[in-house]
Amino acid sequence: MSAPEDDMVLLPRPSALTFDLVAKCTTTKARAAVLTLPHGKVQLPMFMPVATQASLKGLTPKQLEETSCRLCLNNTYHLGLKPGQKTLDAIGGAHKLQSWPHNILTDSGGFQMVSLLELAQVTEEGVRFLSPHDGTPMLLTPEHSISLQNSIGSDIIMQLDDVIATTSPDHARIEEAMHRSVRWLDRCIEAHEKPDSQNLFCIIQGGLDLELRKECCKEMVARDTPGIAIGGLSGGEAKAEYCKVVDTCTDLLPDHKPRYVMGVGYPEDIVVSIALGADMFDCVWPTRTARFGNAITNSGVFNLKNAAYAYDFRPVDEGCTCTCCRPPSEGGLGITRAYIHHTAAKETAGAHLLSIHNVHYLLDLVRRAREAIIEQRYPAFAKDYFNTLYAGQTEKYPRWAVDALMGVGVDIVGGG
Amino acid sequence: MAPSEPHSLAQLPDEMFSIIKAAGNGLAPRLGRLSLPGRNVIETPHYLAITSRGVVPHVTQDTYVRDTNISGVYVGLEDFIERGPAQVPPIYKFNPPDGASPLRCFIALPENSLLVLGARRTPPVAAPSANPNRTDSIAVCTAVGFKTLRAVDYANAVEHLQPDIVVGLGDVPHGRSLGSKRIEKATDRTIQWMSDHVQSRREEVKEHNAKQAKLFAPLLPVSCLNQQYYIDSLTGELADEVSGLAIYDLISVGDLPEALQHLPRLDLTAPQTPHEVLQRIALGMDILTLPFVTAATDAGIALSFTFPARTASVTNGSHTEVLPLGTDMWPAHHAIDVSPLAEGCDCYSCTNHHRAYLQHLLAVKEMLAWVLLQIHNHSVIDRFFQAIRQSIKDTTFVEDAEAFRNTYDSAMPESTGLGPRIRGYQFKSEGRGESKKNKAPFGRLHEVKEKLPDSALPNADAGADVLEEHGFAEKQQ
Ligand SMILES: [Zn+2]
Ligand SMILES: [Zn+2]
Repeated sequence: MSAPEDDMVLLPRPSALTFDLVAKCTTTKARAAVLTLPHGKVQLPMFMPVATQASLKGLTPKQLEETSCRLCLNNTYHLGLKPGQKTLDAIGGAHKLQSWPHNILTDSGGFQMVSLLELAQVTEEGVRFLSPHDGTPMLLTPEHSISLQNSIGSDIIMQLDDVIATTSPDHARIEEAMHRSVRWLDRCIEAHEKPDSQNLFCIIQGGLDLELRKECCKEMVARDTPGIAIGGLSGGEAKAEYCKVVDTCTDLLPDHKPRYVMGVGYPEDIVVSIALGADMFDCVWPTRTARFGNAITNSGVFNLKNAAYAYDFRPVDEGCTCTCCRPPSEGGLGITRAYIHHTAAKETAGAHLLSIHNVHYLLDLVRRAREAIIEQRYPAFAKDYFNTLYAGQTEKYPRWAVDALMGVGVDIVGGG
Repeated sequence: MAPSEPHSLAQLPDEMFSIIKAAGNGLAPRLGRLSLPGRNVIETPHYLAITSRGVVPHVTQDTYVRDTNISGVYVGLEDFIERGPAQVPPIYKFNPPDGASPLRCFIALPENSLLVLGARRTPPVAAPSANPNRTDSIAVCTAVGFKTLRAVDYANAVEHLQPDIVVGLGDVPHGRSLGSKRIEKATDRTIQWMSDHVQSRREEVKEHNAKQAKLFAPLLPVSCLNQQYYIDSLTGELADEVSGLAIYDLISVGDLPEALQHLPRLDLTAPQTPHEVLQRIALGMDILTLPFVTAATDAGIALSFTFPARTASVTNGSHTEVLPLGTDMWPAHHAIDVSPLAEGCDCYSCTNHHRAYLQHLLAVKEMLAWVLLQIHNHSVIDRFFQAIRQSIKDTTFVEDAEAFRNTYDSAMPESTGLGPRIRGYQFKSEGRGESKKNKAPFGRLHEVKEKLPDSALPNADAGADVLEEHGFAEKQQ
């Protein structure tokens, strides 16, 4: 089942991507790169919107394309339930299902299983759980996950890992999970039938124990997957701990491979994580929060359902270049805050408009970050970002962000 | 998709509506042309898409422009005034630059789309009380329940909002018949409201030389004979200000006097099927509003009829089988069907997506399902009207309508699924449903659930067999 480690080191794994490093920040660990995937090039750093069930919250693929998105996520767990593997095989995969000509990334399905099914139990074989419908005992193995992701045909697929909460007090269990994730990676590599068209990413585990994380990095890197994810970090850990883990891992990861921090995140998290050397981010939050009438902007998040916005005829986010905010004279819709207020929770189209803005905001944020990296001004970019977000009130900056950025040579509070 | 070229601003106001061909005198199908400065020239008979809170349900304004051929919309003012009268409704305070129409800018309707405003949605929700309209006001259904809209406020609002066409206020008792005693009162009120509106328009023009919406006069839902005094004022002192008629009941066109026949007729009678559309066109309706389109979309039905009926109905032994008007997209048998929603349809949905995706989206209740259906269904209606006009032109309308009636089912197909969530208040006369309170967006990372995709828990019908069959996991023991 698991191949000898020596072979791993000697034989480069087949890969369906190329990674071209464009620039490295000379102060922080931030990087800009071009990642060429089976369905086209994407620019790193990159934000990936989550189209859970092969659709992004009411947006047509054309609208998603217009936000400049070239890679979106689908969730394996959901597509496995509906439409299911047989249907995916019959249709020819998720690209054909949703008519998305660009890239798709899928998770392994394990995370949802463990997070949501309270009775899920991890054994060496796989994740055991009871069918939510009739209580029949079921088993999800690394082989099942890969087989399903092969049917989905996503450009990037994720290994099944042994996910436990980073906040778990059971250190022995965390260590076991780390080692098991390494063993499961070997099984995933073995089971992967389409390495020439789908890129399998490993997932670094090890909780908040930096020594375990280091050991995991070493083991995973030796297996030479086309890309590397840092997992288990979208849970309940303090952000300072989160930053330490990312910082520790990126120190040990090769320069020439993409690094994906799973389930992150909010704009602040992304700005800091980029400085710590991470390249790829995903989060359902921009579209989720749009449904509640929240607009994401450089100055923070505004709930447009608030009565104050009923008479606010400014664009959702002044200066934003998305289809929703841009004035008609520039080919946009010129949607006002008052109009979002008018439709919020009453017409789905209102949420769709706000989703367009929010997704565009995050894609544009990482695009601006990338530009700053290439022009060797990422420290100033990060500083400016926090300055705008907190309206210059440095005492309001989150401690974890200040410390993490200080750790990579950027003082966002002081002068200079 | 490219809309037709807007006409030049030099268009003479008199030429707003011209009848190109009428099959006969009186009630007969007719071809016309509606042209307003800067808007699409609309060949009639045609339809207006019905909006809810300023938007064609499910269809964002960019998709409206890019992926539909809708040439005009109908908007109900009641969708915008829930804060009144205690507060000034927001839209009354909106003054976009360059004197542009506040309503058009607010709802981001493209310049070339025709914008028609009435007081009520169509079909309107019937008011709970028996006599909701008063001497100087009507009852309207807003997002927070029924309110009164005063005739004078309506007239003022319309001047501010600048639609292309406004339906004047009438004492129409929606959902109830107009008893003989009430007719007189309704006639008096409507004459009064319309006269006041016309008066204020004349003053407005004198004072500001403002560009004004074309005024369509509402006919009461009784015969013209039964509202004779009102008809007299429409043909008399109001004649030069009235550019069209709004019809709430087919009975009022039955004895429409010659003097009003040249006016375009806006149908607000809420036809339920394409058969009922044909019936209205046979009576000479020019512009129609069709609530059944969004109703079909919400029900998960892809309309599939063509006019004239393309396929002859199937004769099966002794009886003839009728064709359905649409396809229910919910059933699982569409799951691997990669054909378009309707054969030969060239809409965005049909050229980019397939039945399998639609079925999937409905099964997992993804909002995109209704977006794609709405695009498709309006496209079917576009072709339906285009074919109707051709048929009138070819003088084959009567036979074509007959063949259509014989080919297609008389009712819409039953839906086997559930409609989209929310969007409920307009169907009931009660307050809106508020969604749950939101969490602080920039909280700590501990909100695991916020990071998880929606409906992450398996569907309740995902039994072990389903999971195994779908290759998701295997059964144990
Ligand atoms: Zn925007
Ligand atoms: Zn179609």
